[in-house]
Amino acid sequence: MRLSEVVDLLPARVVYGTDSLLAAEIGTAAASDLMSDILARVEVPDILLTRLNNTQVVRTASVFGIKAVIVVRGRPIDPKIAELAKQEEIVLLSTESSLFESCGKLYSNGVRSTTPTEDAQQA
Amino acid sequence: MDVRYAKTQELLYELKIAEVMRRELNTFSPVMTMSELRDILRDHRISGVPVLEGEELVGIVSIEDLIRWLSAGGEDCAIAAEMTKKPECLYADQPLVHAIKRFDESGFGRFPVIDRATGKLAGILTKGKLMEGVLRKLESEIEEEELRRYRASHIFEDITADYKEIYLTYDVPGKDFDRAGSASTGMKRNLKRLGIHPDIIHRLAIASYEAEMNLVIYTDGGVMEFHISPQEVFLRVKDNGPGIEDIEKAMQTGYSTAAHWVRELGFGAGMGLSNINKCADKMEIDSTPGIGTTLKIRMFTGPQHKPDGGA
Repeated sequence: MRLSEVVDLLPARVVYGTDSLLAAEIGTAAASDLMSDILARVEVPDILLTRLNNTQVVRTASVFGIKAVIVVRGRPIDPKIAELAKQEEIVLLSTESSLFESCGKLYSNGVRSTTPTEDAQQA
Repeated sequence: MDVRYAKTQELLYELKIAEVMRRELNTFSPVMTMSELRDILRDHRISGVPVLEGEELVGIVSIEDLIRWLSAGGEDCAIAAEMTKKPECLYADQPLVHAIKRFDESGFGRFPVIDRATGKLAGILTKGKLMEGVLRKLESEIEEEELRRYRASHIFEDITADYKEIYLTYDVPGKDFDRAGSASTGMKRNLKRLGIHPDIIHRLAIASYEAEMNLVIYTDGGVMEFHISPQEVFLRVKDNGPGIEDIEKAMQTGYSTAAHWVRELGFGAGMGLSNINKCADKMEIDSTPGIGTTLKIRMFTGPQHKPDGGA
């Protein structure tokens, strides 16, 4: 599905996203509050769901090549984070839904996780 | 309100009407006839012309006026009788977004454009010209980035020397959590421009970011030095303390000395150094408690580079 459809599905508020960025096709997602855990993965998910609302979620997305960050539970997003998302061209969404609900909705619409972090456990 | 920006939208604010309007104008005087108009519109394949009396804009006459005149019998007369008098105008210094709004609201196909300083006709803006201007600008911006990337990626071929190396450094302040990671994301962009293999960029960005986070979290800041040569990318991360007590332990996944606030921010789970080790082709770490730590990471870009990664 497209990111713009994710916006309608959750529903989510677009904190940063251009029409062309929101048109991106997504298939995988990861949910974590631990950025190193994301960075230890072999595969890059299209979406990162998190309850963290700091600049490092956007930095992590940019470093790792994640297209969109979804901040759950309607946690407030500081304008400087929106500004960073714009600079790094990362879609930033905010939803009132919980992490569990958001993942459930995405999963029922065909979004899947990337390969588990087997690699990280071995390291 | 949603903070939505699009590159094209920004362009519409940046570009001024003067940059996209038609400047070479066929103009008419009000005493010329409708049959002359018909011939000129046909010969020049244009859809409308401003009507000037001396230097003063008195009207605009378009293909729509011509059709109306033809269907009413087409009896020749002066343009003054058929033209739109005192037409609505745009100013040359207005942004395109304003013109789009006016096209939308009015349904007009063209606007005369006036120079605000002189009050004189400076050009004409049609929807076609507007579109053409935006597309041309978009294209030139894309070309600029491509050209930059091309130049940078051929730098080692274009410059001759016995030993070639690009040396870039970043000062990373400690405890500045908002800025943390900016050296690594900036470097990722640089490496893309330099045409480094995407797999190497990906692994180096992760290693560099984890190292940068360590500087911000545990030290009072340090320096990250990137040395890029045709054979490798070498990163040295140097700080002045506090140093690592037990490197072997620190390398183990899950071992952490991080304070609670660090974990709240999504780091400090004891995965940083092992992530770096996993991403680097070669990693060395030297540390003296109370003195400082030096971390060295090498990525081979020459023939020995391992595309599937991992050390």
